Amino acid sequence: MNDYMNTIVNESIARIKQRENSFNSGRVASVRDYILEVTGLESVGYFEEVHVGAKAVGYVNQIRENSVIVAVVSQGSPVYVGDEVTATGREFMATFGKESKGHVVDMFGRDLLNGKRFEQTMAVRIENPTTPIMDRTAVNRPMRTGITGIDMLYPIGRGQRQLIIGDKKTGKTQLCLDAIVNQKGQKTLCIYIAIGRTKKGVKEIYRELARRGAMDYTIILAANNDDKPTVLSLTPYVGLAIAELYMKQGLDVLVVIDDLKRHADVYREIALRVGKTPGRDAYPADIFYTHSRLLEKGCQYKNGGSITILPIIETRGGDITDYISTNVISITDGQIVLSKKNFDKGQKPAIDYGLSVSRLGGAVQDPAVKKIGAKVRRELLSYLETREIYELANTDEMSPELKAKLQRGQRMLAALNQYKFSPIPADQMVATFTALVAQPEQPKPQPVQTEQLQADPAVLKQSEEVAIHGFDDATLPADYRKPAAK
Amino acid sequence: MRVGKIISISELNVEVLIDDAKVSYHDLLRVPLPNGGALRLEVQEVNGRMVKTIPLGSVIGLKKGLDVESVGEGLSAEYSDQILGRVFDSYGDPLDGRPLNSVHRRNVYDRDLDFNEIDINGDVLWTGIKVLDFFAPMQKGYKMGLLGGAGVGKTVLIKELINNVYKGCNSNSVFVGVGERSREGKELYDEMTEADLLDKMSVVFGQMGENSAARSKAVFSGLTLAEYLRDVKHQDVLLFIDNIYRFVQAASEINAELQNMPIENGYPASIESDVAEVEERINSTGNGSITSFQAIYIPADDLTDVAVQTISSHLDGQIVLDRKVAEKGLYPAIDVFRTRSNMIDVEKIGQRHYHLVEETIRYLARYQELEEIIAVLGIEELSAADRQIFHRARKLRNYFTQPMFVAENFTGIPGKFVAIGDVLNDVENILNGVYDSVDEDKFLFIGAIGK
Repeated sequence: MNDYMNTIVNESIARIKQRENSFNSGRVASVRDYILEVTGLESVGYFEEVHVGAKAVGYVNQIRENSVIVAVVSQGSPVYVGDEVTATGREFMATFGKESKGHVVDMFGRDLLNGKRFEQTMAVRIENPTTPIMDRTAVNRPMRTGITGIDMLYPIGRGQRQLIIGDKKTGKTQLCLDAIVNQKGQKTLCIYIAIGRTKKGVKEIYRELARRGAMDYTIILAANNDDKPTVLSLTPYVGLAIAELYMKQGLDVLVVIDDLKRHADVYREIALRVGKTPGRDAYPADIFYTHSRLLEKGCQYKNGGSITILPIIETRGGDITDYISTNVISITDGQIVLSKKNFDKGQKPAIDYGLSVSRLGGAVQDPAVKKIGAKVRRELLSYLETREIYELANTDEMSPELKAKLQRGQRMLAALNQYKFSPIPADQMVATFTALVAQPEQPKPQPVQTEQLQADPAVLKQSEEVAIHGFDDATLPADYRKPAAK
Repeated sequence: MRVGKIISISELNVEVLIDDAKVSYHDLLRVPLPNGGALRLEVQEVNGRMVKTIPLGSVIGLKKGLDVESVGEGLSAEYSDQILGRVFDSYGDPLDGRPLNSVHRRNVYDRDLDFNEIDINGDVLWTGIKVLDFFAPMQKGYKMGLLGGAGVGKTVLIKELINNVYKGCNSNSVFVGVGERSREGKELYDEMTEADLLDKMSVVFGQMGENSAARSKAVFSGLTLAEYLRDVKHQDVLLFIDNIYRFVQAASEINAELQNMPIENGYPASIESDVAEVEERINSTGNGSITSFQAIYIPADDLTDVAVQTISSHLDGQIVLDRKVAEKGLYPAIDVFRTRSNMIDVEKIGQRHYHLVEETIRYLARYQELEEIIAVLGIEELSAADRQIFHRARKLRNYFTQPMFVAENFTGIPGKFVAIGDVLNDVENILNGVYDSVDEDKFLFIGAIGK
């Protein structure tokens, strides 16, 4: 009897050893929308592509002790408990049509305009390791958008990540389309990544770009509203993986991600569905890393190629200090804040010049633009702040200096107005604003000079006495035992 | 040596079933991969034969049942003069493409300081930045936190401090980049190389593109390097950490993946001890001192955040950066009401400085109230005395802006190093009305007045 059992067991083992894939199929044990629990799929790798018959394709999201969690990315017909799931032995990858330029495509290598798959395709790893720190070089070439408020005041360089943030209908997408259109003739490839936008909206963007000849160098990579959340969550990574292919060939790439708030929400949905612990605002703990590793793909590469990323975030009620917004602000190299209030006042683009930042600043500007830009930015911010204080004040009682400052500020703000798809070349910006700053009737800003600050000697003496009065020399650090003689 | 096999995998958590070997917390294990490489795992939890580990690399393609081997030691970093002028990753491996002639490595978790080892004396350390020296003066051995929300200027301030203090002091320093931008890391490296200043510095990077294991370990590697300089080389070490919040953030990610119950906003329940484990190692001893500048990110601009509060309870001083100030174009964008230092004490800085700080804060506090009144009534409705305070406060506010050496690209104005004596005189003069007739714009982005 013992021998008999042994024989049977040994035979089974031999069979299993011969057919190595005997563990490579399993059965669906539970279905929660696009998340499947599968039993029996013993030897799959993490992130391996699996098929549920001909019904659905997914990837391995978690390997547990007794089961495997599969996230479905595309599905033709309903999946039932008990359906057979087979492993493919390969990592889940996206497909990229080599002729994608000029088309609206998805991560499966399909041309969405005609619904067909591209003929020449290649598999693209969804995520490559981050570009090593030592393979990056300084970001110092301008990426011109043609918008004065950006190019002159808050410039974007090639390899920079600049967030575009604002409420609904404040011109976020328009700003990015302007930037794309302005890349004509710049040997730049543009990738517009639409995450969860309406199909109609994506089609309109395609039309706008095509009409201006910008589709010649642009790929629109879309994950539509009705795609699986998994697709929405992976698509931006695919877009950046494609961008990396071109960057490594030495090309400049401009990537627009529209938008990351939606992406964060989709990611949260998946995380909660697979049972991850919720953190702040119910986002999973790794929501920062989700965006940081995505945006860290933007860089100036050592071979001269670059990836510039313009992620978009939609805010509510103009609040840029919510969790996701501040997370992304802390990742990007600056932000262009668009304000509904400015938009309604007729200021286009509706940039909030106080809240916007470019961390690269003058490093990515031409010397002429940099010189005038720094000056204009300082004066403009000072004007915007002073304006509030003196809003109710009587202009007759103001000092002429102050009056001139307020007038000049107003003129500057007006000169920054600019309508869509009307780019301004850099030299024209410089000319306009040099004239504005140097208008003869206005006193030029002057550096502080000693003689101007020399005050009434009597007061000065008095103040020195106050200073000396009542402190004990011995308790002071050596640096200022004696007040410096003036 | 095989010690077990993998039984479950998720992005940041690999569970291993151990045969019968002994493993303990913080041990390293390795999984040989079919392509010849290996994935390292660090033990986080041991539950009978079930061991939870965090992978120190990508788990894509990893399979259940793979053999796991023991490495025999925990994470270690180089502990010799070889560290100077070098750049390391979170696990103590060189990043700059040059081989490391390892002389001696030390475990990164080992060093705890005894109560009697800690030295609390130190000389004053002037940074040449007006607001810092005036409102939050430093002493050697201090821990200074630079708190700020996203994009208000923490990193610029850290870089200015490196510029002013490291270059000025000529002492050894360690820079630890945790969860920050790779671009900035590379820029720092390039700037230091170009200025020939890298030879007294060691750098550790676990930047934001790396997984949470890397971001949580960078601090420990950096500390080990700083301890070498303090304990063996007897140096006064400057330790720059940008950004310590990211360490707690990474710990939250790991905690969530290990399925431990979190506290509010998803932080690990062990947040206090996690932070203490790091902060208590940053101290001066009889051998040498460690002075640290730590950038602290404020998530969602919420200063009451648990992580921020926990870290700041370890600090000797803090500089708080405020978005409302930054919005007005006033840099460094400091919230003077929340900025503090243990040095602000009559016995430490003397009566004159102390009195001036008090008076300045009083002016600025009144200014805030007046601003609200003006928004409703207009400036003409103020009394003469209030109007005087209003104008002088605006001059003070403008005076505390400063052109920074590292921000010349933004401002177009060369940086200024300002001596504390000048700051005290200038502030005193503004308060006393010496400059009442001077236009307030003249005080923007200058060094000392008249210099």
